[in-house]
Amino acid sequence: MSLLRYESQVRPPIVDGSKDYHQVTEDICAPVEAKPTKAWWIGFIISVALLLFGVVSIVVEVIYGTGQWNLNKTIGWGWDITNFVWWVGIGHAGTLISAILLLFRQGWRTGVNRAAEAMTIFAVMCAGQFPIWHMGRVWDAFFVLPYPNTRGPLWVNFNSPLLWDVFAISTYFTVSLLFWYSGLLPDLATLRDRAKLKWRKMFYGLAAFGWTGSTKHWQRHEALSLVLAGLSTPLVLSVHTIVSFDFATSVIPGWHTTIFPPYFVAGAVFSGFAMVQTLLLITRKVLGLKDYITIEHIEVMNKVIVLTGSIVGIAYLTELFMAWYSHVGYEWFAFKENRVNLSSPYGWSYWIMMGCNVLSPQVFWSKKLRRNLLLTFFMSILVNIGMWFERFVIIVTSLYRDYLPSSWSTYYTPTIWEIGFYMGTFGLFFVCYFLFSKFFPVIAIAEIKHILKKNGDNWKEGYNKEEGQNYDEFAHDNVHHDDHH
Amino acid sequence: MANRENFVAPKRYNTIAIALIAIGILSTITLYITAGSKDDPHQQARFWGSLLQNSVYFLLVVNAAMFFICATTLAWGGWQMAFRRVPEAISACVPVVGVIAGAILLSICFSSNHEIYHWTDSAHVAHDPTLDHKKGFLNKGFFATVTVLTIVLWSLLGWKMRKLSRSLDENPIPTVEGRKKYMWNNTIWAALFMIVFALTVMSSIPWLWLMSIDAHWYSTMYSWYTFASTFVAGMALIALFVVFLKNNGYLEHTNTEHLHDIGKFMFAFSIFWTYLWFSQFMLIWYANIPEETVYFKPRAQGEFSGVFWLMFIINFIAPILILMSRDSKRNYAVISIMAVLILFGHWLDFFQMVFPSPMTDPKTGVTHVPNILYDLGIALGFVGVIMFATGRALSKAPLVAKNHPFMKESLIHHT
Repeated sequence: MSLLRYESQVRPPIVDGSKDYHQVTEDICAPVEAKPTKAWWIGFIISVALLLFGVVSIVVEVIYGTGQWNLNKTIGWGWDITNFVWWVGIGHAGTLISAILLLFRQGWRTGVNRAAEAMTIFAVMCAGQFPIWHMGRVWDAFFVLPYPNTRGPLWVNFNSPLLWDVFAISTYFTVSLLFWYSGLLPDLATLRDRAKLKWRKMFYGLAAFGWTGSTKHWQRHEALSLVLAGLSTPLVLSVHTIVSFDFATSVIPGWHTTIFPPYFVAGAVFSGFAMVQTLLLITRKVLGLKDYITIEHIEVMNKVIVLTGSIVGIAYLTELFMAWYSHVGYEWFAFKENRVNLSSPYGWSYWIMMGCNVLSPQVFWSKKLRRNLLLTFFMSILVNIGMWFERFVIIVTSLYRDYLPSSWSTYYTPTIWEIGFYMGTFGLFFVCYFLFSKFFPVIAIAEIKHILKKNGDNWKEGYNKEEGQNYDEFAHDNVHHDDHH
Repeated sequence: MANRENFVAPKRYNTIAIALIAIGILSTITLYITAGSKDDPHQQARFWGSLLQNSVYFLLVVNAAMFFICATTLAWGGWQMAFRRVPEAISACVPVVGVIAGAILLSICFSSNHEIYHWTDSAHVAHDPTLDHKKGFLNKGFFATVTVLTIVLWSLLGWKMRKLSRSLDENPIPTVEGRKKYMWNNTIWAALFMIVFALTVMSSIPWLWLMSIDAHWYSTMYSWYTFASTFVAGMALIALFVVFLKNNGYLEHTNTEHLHDIGKFMFAFSIFWTYLWFSQFMLIWYANIPEETVYFKPRAQGEFSGVFWLMFIINFIAPILILMSRDSKRNYAVISIMAVLILFGHWLDFFQMVFPSPMTDPKTGVTHVPNILYDLGIALGFVGVIMFATGRALSKAPLVAKNHPFMKESLIHHT
């Protein structure tokens, strides 16, 4: 008999605990069907409190204007845009995992894609808050939409990357949401079919869009997934590319540099994976999903972190080198005096960025450290601190010393409302994540089943014979000569 | 068909390779007589520029094959094992083309002609504050050291990776544990290659060898752009050899599925190249700073605009329209034509990267496009060298790395 699929036993299994199909369903549905735990309630209430802090901060800002923030003429962008770029960056991992890793046929993505995609959507929602409320007169926000209007010749500025952001992020959000939700449909139907309570049956029944699991449904589902993966792949790159254009199209020293687009994308993937690690390390423990989010998953993601961290590192050094090489005085001043110089007002932030983003991920060259959960958790937070500072360095250290020394800004510190707004987005993010992890399966049941017989620990033993065969025996048994060229 | 495991170069193959090398040598001699031997340094630069463009381009392309091997090794890829010996053989050209390129680069660097690398002219540098400022990086000693070191390291690490692969041919590993250890060993050497690659192709080497031709100009994207250009061309070269071997009855278990995946790489990295091309071009166009736009002026709008936009059409418009469809990526003829087109398109890219500066007359300031037929002739010579060296490498080892732990995965591969 010939095999339809085969995987070398050299590869570690990515589903542990000797599962069969039924057990997979039971394990992943269990937290959804159980009552929320005490820990869940505590976490949820803290998140709601943070969210309320954010709402109050926004209300204050809307009533009294952006003067409630410590921005000034020289530092026109501060915490708000730093936070915006930071959240958008985090919102890159999910769709990268679901789309690009799907195209690269990375089986391990099935353990983490659902939660990562959800996280992406919530992160983009958080990111969107900042430019919206930064407008000040938020009731005029609809001005960013280009449509024939009664405001005379007042159209949006199509030349502005800020407008491209509106298009890029809203498109990205829409496609990511569709991708995530269409992937959920079979699992929602599973929950519907298992439901014992009437309201659950109704809720999941509505949510599952009448999924029956018929061959026709699966066929359409597969086709849709492939189309959405194809659409998402350029979108993942486009979003942070256009965010980088916000800076790079200008002539501000430290902003105008051609490497920005790919390096922003690498940085976004870097921070996104760090956030996935933070969330999944907690999720797998609290929801008891260690058999599905295994140490192998953690290790692979740490490899992505050391790769993207090093790419970002090369970009930082390239920028620094070119600032010197270009022989442009302003550029070199921005790097040497405003950033590298540790005794300059914001020099410390540059070195936090370098330390967290470039140096610290290098520990993951070691296999032992990649598999250390405590270190991974610590590193995942360190990376996101570093990535926050990257945006802070880019924005504030380039702005605060203007071309005219008379416009040089005094030291910029955020007000309580800027901090509150940022905390509020954490609230929004975690409220959403808590609700998601309570009401939806955090792992894609159907997709785990798809890889189970190839990657499950108990199933891998079934390949003992093939592993022992040599090339010719294996080819004789399994390859059919239907491809004569 | 009989299972043909060892490549024996058909007579015609070597004849063609040698004929191409002869064309290359003839073109070089002709170009030397018509330009290189003249007293006018500007004319001489025409000759050396062609050698520079061709040798650097083909060196980076053959080295991209080893990048492909190391990237797939680090990612624990399995699908490419069926034809793994092909990129291995291509990468065996690195020492050969490397010696040629190294000799050319050092000759240009140390010659008394400064038309290509203005920064080698110490009298000129003394009066040029910008070049004087760059002396710490753009100087002959540093250039020569980095050039030699880089070519040696690429050759050595590539040799080590090939050796690891061939070590299994006669000695299969009996246990799973042993196979894991073998993979681990591969991973370490591939990672070392990657670090060297990052410090050279992805950063310093394109700055030194190519960007310093326009010595005043700078772009942080330049090296990543050069990488994208040569990697997609490297994939095209792999595709060509795979198709060639299939057509001659080799690589029994490499099939349409594998070709489809190679085609995906050609497609994806054509788009990736365009992404970097656009990012570099658009940002410079948008900011409109004279120190930066000076680079694109002769290229996008001046004398070189024909070459510039033609290469854009070949490298972007053609792949996106033709390689988008599944059927075309599974078609041997389409893949072959596109591979040749992509190799030519990125060669044109290098043509317009190298020539505008040395082809600008320092006295009149007028730029002219050199007669590209000479450069094409020399390019054919390099194609001949690569054919010959790859053919030799292919015949030295079995065409299938039968005992590699992931080889069997590659046999039942579905896209």
